[in-house]
This record gives sequence, structure tokens and C-alpha cells, in this order.
Amino acid sequence: MIRFVLRRLAASLLLLYLVLTATFFLVHLAPGSPSMLLAGDQRLPVEQQENLKRIYGLDRPLPVQYARWLSATALGDWGTSFTYQRPVTSVVLDAVPATLLLAFAALLVEQAVGLVFGIMAARRPGSAADHLIRVISLLLFSQPAFWLALMAILLFSLVWPILPASHMYSVGAEDLGRGARFLDLLRHLVLPALVIGLTQAGSVIRYVRASVLDVLGQEYIRAARAKGISERRVVWVHALRNALPPLIQVMALSMGSLLSGILIAEVVFSWPGIGRLTFEAILSRDYPMVLATTAFGAVMTLLANLMADVLHALADPRVRHA
Amino acid sequence: MRPRSARPLFAVLLVLLLVAACKGNGEEGAGTTPTPTAAAGEPRRGGTVVIGWSAAATGVNELITQGTAITTELNRQLFSQLLEEQADFEEHPPTFKPLLARSYEWSPDHKALTFHLREDAVWSDGVPITADDVRFTWQAHVHPDVGWDSAVMKESITDVEVVNPKTVRFHFSKAYAKQVQDVNEGGILPKHTWGKLPFSKWRDNADWFREHLVVSGPFTIAAWDPQQQVVLARNPRYFRQDRPYLDKVVLRNIPDAASMMTQFLSAELDFVPQVQPSDMERIQSDPRLALIPYWFRTYVYVAWNHRNPLFADADVRRALTLAIDRQTIVDTMWPAGTGRVAVSPILQSVWAFDRSLGPLPYDPQESRRILESKGWKDSNGDGVLDKGGKPFSFVLLSNAGNQQRNDAAVMIQQQLKQVGIQAEPRVVEFNSLVNDATSGTFDALVFGMQMDTSLDLTSQFGSNHVEEGNFSAYKNPEFDRLMVEAMSKPDIRDAKPILDRIQQILHRDQPVTFLWESQRLSAINRRVHGARPNVLFSLFNLEDWWVDAAR
Repeated sequence: MIRFVLRRLAASLLLLYLVLTATFFLVHLAPGSPSMLLAGDQRLPVEQQENLKRIYGLDRPLPVQYARWLSATALGDWGTSFTYQRPVTSVVLDAVPATLLLAFAALLVEQAVGLVFGIMAARRPGSAADHLIRVISLLLFSQPAFWLALMAILLFSLVWPILPASHMYSVGAEDLGRGARFLDLLRHLVLPALVIGLTQAGSVIRYVRASVLDVLGQEYIRAARAKGISERRVVWVHALRNALPPLIQVMALSMGSLLSGILIAEVVFSWPGIGRLTFEAILSRDYPMVLATTAFGAVMTLLANLMADVLHALADPRVRHA
Repeated sequence: MRPRSARPLFAVLLVLLLVAACKGNGEEGAGTTPTPTAAAGEPRRGGTVVIGWSAAATGVNELITQGTAITTELNRQLFSQLLEEQADFEEHPPTFKPLLARSYEWSPDHKALTFHLREDAVWSDGVPITADDVRFTWQAHVHPDVGWDSAVMKESITDVEVVNPKTVRFHFSKAYAKQVQDVNEGGILPKHTWGKLPFSKWRDNADWFREHLVVSGPFTIAAWDPQQQVVLARNPRYFRQDRPYLDKVVLRNIPDAASMMTQFLSAELDFVPQVQPSDMERIQSDPRLALIPYWFRTYVYVAWNHRNPLFADADVRRALTLAIDRQTIVDTMWPAGTGRVAVSPILQSVWAFDRSLGPLPYDPQESRRILESKGWKDSNGDGVLDKGGKPFSFVLLSNAGNQQRNDAAVMIQQQLKQVGIQAEPRVVEFNSLVNDATSGTFDALVFGMQMDTSLDLTSQFGSNHVEEGNFSAYKNPEFDRLMVEAMSKPDIRDAKPILDRIQQILHRDQPVTFLWESQRLSAINRRVHGARPNVLFSLFNLEDWWVDAAR
């Protein structure tokens, strides 16, 4: 088992290296230069541009820059952000809690909605409820997150203003007590978490439905029913438990799309997390920042995949020896 | 409180999302009569004002942070300058009011400028502000490892001499027109704290400056939430003891313009420095809200690339300008007189504008005549002029995220079609537009230029500034010579005849086609009094703002 994990870990590291190298060359070769060298509609004098390039090492040939970046990064130095003039690691670390909170909340919504509707649909395949749920899941699945986000803001912040449309806290929240501050945070969390969670839930509903349906057709379920166990118990205990392992894998594999959903939601909802940093870093060609946030996303995705592999291997010995 | 109708807002939301990249949009405006918040009663102390800003402040040290508007505004509140430049340049050059310096005097040769600092000015930790701080600030300004964006403004200052703790003398290599502007640029920095970090370490330690912050201005920082908000609180040791009136100012970062409007309309925000002309109606229909319009310092133009043979001839460029109906473009884009056709790089609200000049007329017939005299004819009958088998056809670039400029490009395409010229509008990301502009790999592009108050047009049209702002690669030795001459006058008023001549040359040569200059529209809640945003700074006199009742 340990050998299996190590092998997977090595493969993940290699993949991470390839992703970052590709990103390095993509951002450097993208047209345009870091916006610190531009001053909007005013222009920086050429000497000043050259001086800034010197300070940030951008005056070297690209292969040299790559070699320097690679060796520094290997030693844990991700460089200084062009925008924030701070080590990118500390900028990213500042933004991680906000993103993790949002990711966790969104995952909760995604799984709760996915499980409940998926099982409801699977219990009576072909019924009106099943059809309705399948239509809903298709609708959710095909909604772009940004569109749903704008609709949510329109509905719940403008037409029916009950929830805040942006930021993590209200103005003046720093003066509130701990409990009130937490409630304020929760209110701000609702819209972005719902938007990301629901767009993700569409596919989860379909997976859960298929998986549970598959299990419900098994001999042991028939045996359980024959023993007179209540239908509710058959579905929620016997069937669900057996349907879960593949679902855990699906959940882990959805990490990538969850992260891209978060990127969009953070921009639309002014949520101070990694997604917004990434977006701004790309627009302003903040190379070290783009690389660091890409690394964060890649590591999260790879870790989730690794977890999925391990869980799957634990459950199924055939995988381990493959 | 919610807006009257959600439908238009929804449309705005969508459009804004599609153009999420928001660069180079510094020329929005409005055109109602100025309705600043009426003074109601006596100013009172206390209260909080919440200000919405589309960009986030990235640090408290303006020397190492990108020179964005929010950074500059924030730094003005933290660090006082020697003098305060006034926005009173409609009739004469801008005047300067004493700030940290109570007075100044020139040497007879105009190459040394001596400042006398206020005796009562102290840093927020009680340490007096001295000539040493002024000298330290200059050293930081020009140090190559600090890499300050505006370092070039200090290039003619040879030394800053500490005469005594409250007297400091600037020495110049020459006498010239913008000496005071150059000296005054940048707030004075605290040597006794920031001097502890070597200049070579400044560029990657933005946090350090925030952790070691002492200020001289009206406000200091009470809270700093990255990408969310900056909370300013009154600096109790500010030398104007009766200012600021406000206890707190919250600078809230709201990148999405539609959310910004929503929050302003629901009175969550008290002040928005810049709103779109399309928002005018909704603001004016609400009695709690007011607009403050003022002519802004950006002009928008089409840069023709003179390296391209199509645009090398001044007469052809003149024909292009004649074929573009700029008045219609302005009327479409800037309702209610919020914009006007631009004539000269020196804006019409500036004292040095040559008032004998007017915009070239819209005259497609004359345009066709000029083009024909230059050999451009539609010989194959396809509706496009050609010469030597080559059609008059080019790509017109504008940047994504700036709807006005994109719309203008499309209107220009339609208008040029009338005279047989084929322009193909293409929208590219701002970053790559600038890349094409500075490397000269484009045909024509719509761009904006932001003017400072120095009237120095060298970076926009100087032969040696092709990579900075002279994208057209306009080369005219007469312009270069006159500009140097104008800028070498110690009193810029003496340069007025030369500046007029320069404007006439540019008018004749049409290196670019000037499209429009426009007003900027600040929006304010009427509970806030005394605000005077101006073309220099939206938060120009923040220390004088006061509110009716505490939030």
C-alpha cells in the first residue's frame, strides 16, 4: 500500500512540475507585459521600465529566468508579487482561509443537494419526481456559474434584498462582537456557496442516481427487502453505503471544477480568496503570483485525486496491484 | 431602499461581467449643473463615510506600489506634501498652498528653492517632522533599487540640503517650468522609522511599511483587510488640530461596477468617485443623492501609425479626421453635454489651451477630395479606395473592458466607409494593446491620454518617446525644439506663445485624431457635506468632509 501511495505521489509531483513549467512559459509568452510596467493611460519612461525589469529580474533571457525561478521555487522561494511587493507565499496564504471556507461550504451544498435529490430520483425511476429531478439536474449542470451568480445577486440583493451581494463582512463588522461577526460572515457566505454548490450539484445528482440505482438492482438488496426491512432503511443504509465508494471518487475528482467555480464566484462576489487573486494576477501579468496560485490549484486537485486513488485502492485490492 | 427598476441594472450587470477586465476607463463623466452637497448648518465632528473604489489599495508606501489612483489617494491622506497643488488652472498655472512647508523662496538664479517647514508639524508618534525627513524622502525617490514610478520627476534635482531642522533647500541643475511640481511630487516620509530598512529591501517588503507606519497627514490606518477594505481613522496629531471632521473613512473595494451602483443606491456607500453617464438618471431621481461633475484630464484619440505608409502623410491624416464625425460620436457617448470634441492635447479646461483653435469640421467631401489628390481612387469599383493596386484598409484596435472606446471604433468604421476607407475594428486585451502600441506593430488604435498639469507634451509627441506615449511615431524636429524651449521657461506663463504655436503645429499635422474629452462624475450621498472632489484628486479635501449624523 505504501509503495502504491509513493508511486502516486511521485507521479503527482511530476505532473505538478509539468503544469507549472507550462504555466511559466504561457504567462511569460502571453502578449503584453506586467502592468507595473504600464501606468494605465499614462506611460512610464523607458528608463524606469528598464530599472523595474532589472529589480525583478525580467531583463534576463527567458531560459535564465526559468532556471532561476525553478531553483528558487525548489527551495521554497516563490518570489515577490509585482502587484503587492510582498512574497507571493504570504499573499496566497492570506487568501487561503477565505477560499477554503467557501470551498467547504460549497461542497456541503453540492453533496447535500446531490445526495438527497439523487436518492429521491433513484427510489422511483421513471416516476414524475425522477423526471423532474433529472430536468433540474440538467438545468443546474448547464448553468454557467457566472450567470447563476448574477441572477442570485439580482434576485436576493436587488429585487428582494435579503442577502449581501459582495465581500466577507459588512461595513463596521470589525466593531461587532464575535457572535454577531460570525453571523455576518454566514450571511455573506450564503450566495456564493449556493451558487457554486448548485452548479456542481447537477452532475452529483446524476452520479448518485446512477450509482444507487445500480446498487438497488443487486441481489443483496433483494435479500434485504425479502427479510422485511423497511424501504427507507434499504435505500438510506444498505444501498447508500454500497453506492458511496464510487461517489467519494467522483467528489474528489470534481475538485478541479469546484476550484474553477470558486474562481468565478470570488470575482463576482468580491470574495477575498485565491480565485480573485488568480484573476487579477493574470490580468496584470503578475507572473510570480500566477505561478503560485496555479500551484495552489494544482496541488489541491492533485491531492484530491491522490485521496480518491487511495480510497479506491483501499476498497478494491485489484486497483492496488494493477 | 431599492432601485426603481431592476431590468436596466440587470443588463448592466451582464455587460459588466462580459467586460470584466476594466482598464483604461478614466474618462467617464456627466453634464448636469454642478450640484455639490449643499452646506447645511455648521460642520460637526464625528461620523463615518464609506467610499467605494473599484481597485484595491495594495500598500502604504507609494514608492513601491503601482501608481494606481487609489494608492495615490490613500497616500495623500497618510503623508502630507510640502505644498498642496490646487486645481485652479483654468485661467492660470496651478497655484500651491502651504502644507508641511509654511513658505518657500527662490534663489536669484532660480536654481535653488528653500522651504521653511511648519514648527508644529509632528509624526503620529510625536517625533517632529524635519528637514532630514525631506532629504531622506528625496534619497528614496531617486534610489534605483526603490524604483519609484515617478523618479524621473526628480532628475533635475541635484541635491537636497538640510540647512537646519526646519529649513531645507533643493538644488537644481537648471531652471525650468515645472520645478515646483517636480519638487512637490510625493509625500514626505518618516526617516526615523522607514530609514531603518535599507532601500534594497523596499521592493519586497510592503508589509513592513504598514507594520511600521507613522503618518503626518489627516488620517492613519485603523484596519487593513486585503482585497476588502481599508479603514482610515483620524490622526490625532495632525497639525491642523480642528481637522479632520470625520472619525473614520472606509475605503471599500468593489471591483464590480454594478455592485458598486447597487450599494450606492441603497446608501451603503456615501461616495463613488466615478459613475457612468448611464447611471445619471437613477442618481438624479433620488433626492438623497447628488452628482458632482467636473472636466477630467483625459482625452481619447485615434493614433495613426506613421510607420505605415497609409498614415505617413499629414494631408491624408487630415482627410481621415475630416471623415470622422466626432460630434456625433460625442453626442452618442456623452449625453447631456458631459463630453466635447477634443481639439488639442492641452485640454480646453486648461489655461494654456489655444482658444483660437477649433475642431476640424466633419467634411467627408473635402476628405474625399484630399484623398483623390493623393492618388486614392476606387479603380475597381468595390467601394474601397485603392492606390497602386492596394486598398485603403487597416485594423483599428481598442481595448476590451472599455465599451466607449470599442463603440467609438465601430462608429469610426461606419463613417470611414462613407469615404471609401475600410477600417476593421478589433478588440484586444489592454495589456496586449499596449504591447502593440509600444512596439509599433499596429495600424491604428483608440487610446486615451491622461494629462498632468505640467503641459509637457514630450512623452506624447516627442521624437524620442516612441516607446512611451508617442505610439504614432510622430517625428517633427520643430515640435521637439519648441517643446524644449517652452519647458525651459522658469515661469510657464512666458511660454504661452510657444505652447500656442505647438498646438497649431499639432492641429496642422494631425499626428493623431483627437476624439473627445469628457467630464468625470462623482456621486455622493447628501448626508456628506463639504466634499470637493476635483480633477486632481477625488478625495481632494477629505479632511474637510463632514456628515449630518453618525451612521
